[in-house]
Amino acid sequence: MRTLKTSEAALLLNVSPNTLRAWERRFGYPKPQRSAGRHRLYTHGEVAALRDALQQGLSISSAVSRAREALSTDTHTLVGALTGFELERADIAMECALALRSVERSVEEVLLPSLDELGVRFGTDSAPWAFAARWADGWLRRAQRLAPPPSRPLAILVGDATRSEIDPDALAMRAFELFCGRAGARVMALPIGSVTGLGDVVGALSPNALVIAGSHASDDDVAQWAYRVRAASGQLPLALFRRTRQGAKIRSAAGARLLPDAPFGAQRQLLALIDDRPPESFEAPPARTLRSTPMSAREAQA
Amino acid sequence: MRRLHAVRQPEVDERGLALMSFCGHCGVPPITEVSASASRVCAHCGLGLVLQAPSDVAPRADEPFLVIDSTLSVCAVSARAEKLLETDETVAVNRHIADFLVPADANAPSAENLLVLLVDAASGSGEPRTAVVRPRAEFGVRFRARIGPCGPPHAALLVLID
Repeated sequence: MRTLKTSEAALLLNVSPNTLRAWERRFGYPKPQRSAGRHRLYTHGEVAALRDALQQGLSISSAVSRAREALSTDTHTLVGALTGFELERADIAMECALALRSVERSVEEVLLPSLDELGVRFGTDSAPWAFAARWADGWLRRAQRLAPPPSRPLAILVGDATRSEIDPDALAMRAFELFCGRAGARVMALPIGSVTGLGDVVGALSPNALVIAGSHASDDDVAQWAYRVRAASGQLPLALFRRTRQGAKIRSAAGARLLPDAPFGAQRQLLALIDDRPPESFEAPPARTLRSTPMSAREAQA
Repeated sequence: MRRLHAVRQPEVDERGLALMSFCGHCGVPPITEVSASASRVCAHCGLGLVLQAPSDVAPRADEPFLVIDSTLSVCAVSARAEKLLETDETVAVNRHIADFLVPADANAPSAENLLVLLVDAASGSGEPRTAVVRPRAEFGVRFRARIGPCGPPHAALLVLID
């Protein structure tokens, strides 16, 4: 993915850097990422789409709307590919998304919303959903393998409280693991049910934080698992990811922090929690609506 | 170093009518820097594109206005119109004009119908006309509106006069 500095993006759009920043405040577009030095980095695809839209636009707002529409075609393509059970076309749709966006944004803006749409359309207990979720799980695992090796002395232990690999929460958890890994952390996910020998694993990993992800396992099972981890590692920051319906007991008993539902927002907030600094400002995408428990298509429609 | 500015000279359309340029957000005529490149973004506010309209239709800087395309979707809302209609351009774009303004006189003949005037103007063929409109959710408030073509690309300009 090609990125542009503020001055380069401004030059491409034929405006001043101040104007570009004003557009970001008013229209939320183009939405830059941040470099390690906190400088804005714009994706070339977003800026080019806006440049083309401005040439035919009557206002900045309508041009932004048109540019967003042009970029959203990736989501339509991925949904179409998965609905038609075309794995190769699904991979190509993600490749196209990656040409315009970072891995994080490709996952949050294309992969997860496409899966959401399929879940709503078919129900998360359907075969088409299972097919799409398996593909998404495989894609996220491949991306994890391609991530650079850990570059920070930072380890995160994730307690997997999801139902199965094709649970919507499991896909979000996989994305969260990927984002943490790409931020330089070592991430290890263990099922909540694995208690035997847990102390040895914790001792070897020396985690800096503990995250409970998913809402399938009961509070009692989660509390027992978290207790054993803390017994082996000492007091650790504890955070809950996608465990909004349950978790009240754990939150009050262990002082757990509730992370945002969006994986990238959760990663940012967790890293801030570990570093003991206020969370960086980020725009959390709207909370996803899929339930972690199986849902029929009829229920979804209702 | 002192920056040189020059007010853009009035242009004329293919029918010989004088055209006036203005920003689709702040309504201010563009001030172009000498040797500046041809950006359509307003150099004054940076939040609108420079549009052109016949000088008898173009808004003065203090007049609220909207730009509507031939599908009757709102394409631009000036800063003053945002305040007047209590909306935001980012929310208003792509919505139907009837979500914001409706004819104040329900008994107007069809030729004078607001939507017909807007479609005519958006096609670029309409002569400047006036109509009486009111905000959709408010009764007892009326505005005279000046309607005419603008662009590029072709669109209708609706200026709320008083």
